[in-house]
Amino acid sequence: MSTAVASRGPAGVGAADPAGSRWLRRLRFFAAVLRQRPTFAIGYAIVAVVIVTALLAPWIVPYGPMVADPTVYLLPPGRGHLLGTDGTGMDILSRVLYAPRVDLAIAGIGTLVSASIGSCIGAIVGYYEGQRSWRRAVSASVMRSADVLQAFPVFVFAIALVAVFGQSVRSIVVAIAFVNAPIYLRLMRTQVLSIRRLRYVEAAYVAGASDLSILARHVIPNAMAPVLAQLSVNIGWAVLLTAGLSFVGAGVVAPTPEWGSMIAMGFQNVVTGQWWPSVFPGIALGVTVFGFALVGASVEVLADPVRRRILSGSLG
Amino acid sequence: MPILRYIGRRVLFVIPQLFGIILVSFFLVKLIPGDPAVMMLGPTASTQSIAELRDKLGLSKPLITQFGRYLHDVARGDLGTSWQTTRPVTEDLFQRFPATLELITLGLLVALAIGFPLGVAAARRRRGPIRKFADYYGLLAGALPDFWLALVLIYVFYTALGWIPAPLGRIDMAVVPPPTVTGSLVIDSLIAGNLAALASSLGHLLLPVLTLGLINAGPILKMTQSTVERTLSSDFIRYAEMCGLPRRVVLRQAVRAALPSVLTIVSVLYGFLIGGAVLVEIVFSWGGAGQYAVQGVLNADVNPVLGFVVFSAVLSLVIYLVVDLLYFALDPRMRG
Repeated sequence: MSTAVASRGPAGVGAADPAGSRWLRRLRFFAAVLRQRPTFAIGYAIVAVVIVTALLAPWIVPYGPMVADPTVYLLPPGRGHLLGTDGTGMDILSRVLYAPRVDLAIAGIGTLVSASIGSCIGAIVGYYEGQRSWRRAVSASVMRSADVLQAFPVFVFAIALVAVFGQSVRSIVVAIAFVNAPIYLRLMRTQVLSIRRLRYVEAAYVAGASDLSILARHVIPNAMAPVLAQLSVNIGWAVLLTAGLSFVGAGVVAPTPEWGSMIAMGFQNVVTGQWWPSVFPGIALGVTVFGFALVGASVEVLADPVRRRILSGSLG
Repeated sequence: MPILRYIGRRVLFVIPQLFGIILVSFFLVKLIPGDPAVMMLGPTASTQSIAELRDKLGLSKPLITQFGRYLHDVARGDLGTSWQTTRPVTEDLFQRFPATLELITLGLLVALAIGFPLGVAAARRRRGPIRKFADYYGLLAGALPDFWLALVLIYVFYTALGWIPAPLGRIDMAVVPPPTVTGSLVIDSLIAGNLAALASSLGHLLLPVLTLGLINAGPILKMTQSTVERTLSSDFIRYAEMCGLPRRVVLRQAVRAALPSVLTIVSVLYGFLIGGAVLVEIVFSWGGAGQYAVQGVLNADVNPVLGFVVFSAVLSLVIYLVVDLLYFALDPRMRG
């Protein structure tokens, strides 16, 4: 397939507009990959649907997500309330559809912050590690601090962070960023350690480029692949962590629609037989994380030149 | 003995790490707004009695002095008292840690029983229904929140079917628990020969163990599958195949070679679950160690949180040491 695309490229749009043909070729390759691996397509579809739902929530929900109607509490799923109502009489469908606004915002921002901080520090540490200077001591101490942070029980640490900064969305973002940063630090460091001895980096050094520009122009762009793959998976984890925090009461505060706090609110009802207030938000949460994990898996394959070649070979 | 030197180095590394962990968690928990003295005496207490209590607890001293005092106490094995339970933290933890350990040990055994055979089966062929199932199982297990799965299981097996006892605690209220020897209710009931307590505690263990097992089988499955797959395409397996050994024998060798990495993932999961099983503990009112720490954080109760962190750090150390010893037993290259 890839060879066919390559030969079609210059003959078609490519001759007139090389940049356009490159994008078109990439798009075709991507489409071919999705046809070959339909699971990946499911992942992208899920993520797209969740994001669109989050954006359009105010226009597609049948009821207000925080409007409690005490006359219709704990209605089973059926007409009027498709997924039923919870113990206070709020419509579950509307709340499930509204929840990704909070969950995805927290998870997305938290993950982006941790990835940018973590991989910047990781790149610098990896670049200077092993040199005979004070920088070596700094690198070593950064790595030992990361060890200490990762030795913490993640959940207790996250709750403590939220407790310190006060219960708010911003604190949850900070907690997620803090807990995840060491992952990116390590990923980036190992990448940079193997890249910095390569010829093109040495060539840039000989040409007189400063450390900063070598890092920014030559090292970091070539070390990004695993970080990008981790990003999507990590957004899924962050959604899980946010839900967990809300479940113990250290996350998003109750009437705000959020999957974890909805599961917590329905906790008592499950024991007495009303399963719907807890089960539906859990399914939405699970499907979302599943989608992000699939997207992460696909990025991992596409970003790895060897596996990409195997895949494009099997496409032909 | 290389192994003794290795263990010695391990322990030496842990001391600064333990210090770092205590340092960070001490200042972190101290930063949590909320004055323990006010919380202990309630909102109606006079300013004078609050000040007296603060003096008595050493809260009016500078933080660094408090930290020094705490380290001094920890070195002597005293983790302070919790103002919520008004008991020494060491006592509380010795009561709660066995509950958590019993839960996560059994949970991981179930996870191994699901994940390991499935991983080996999926690694044997690259296509087919088993492989597909394993792929989806791995992704799904990583995507579902454990506290939600616990609720679903409670609904199915308790509310709808009524097969298991109410998900409250580790043993029925009406059953007299066996005298504490190990802290594990199952083992203690066996020691005491108390069959009623044994049945009740096993019934209560069923769902939380199943929850943890189903969720944690995911990573074990993935690790087993990828390692066995890699081993199956390695030179020594190809050589064995070339020699005409039966497929069953070859597979057994590949599985044997994959054991160390399965052990690694199990130990990582074990260390994670000491604090990570807290949501499942809360759902089942388990009264475990993680739950104790979370309560501490939510109520600005410093000592339980620090005690928990110290305990779990020491425990992880012990686990990693045991794992290292097992590596020596499993991997002949490490003995060389």
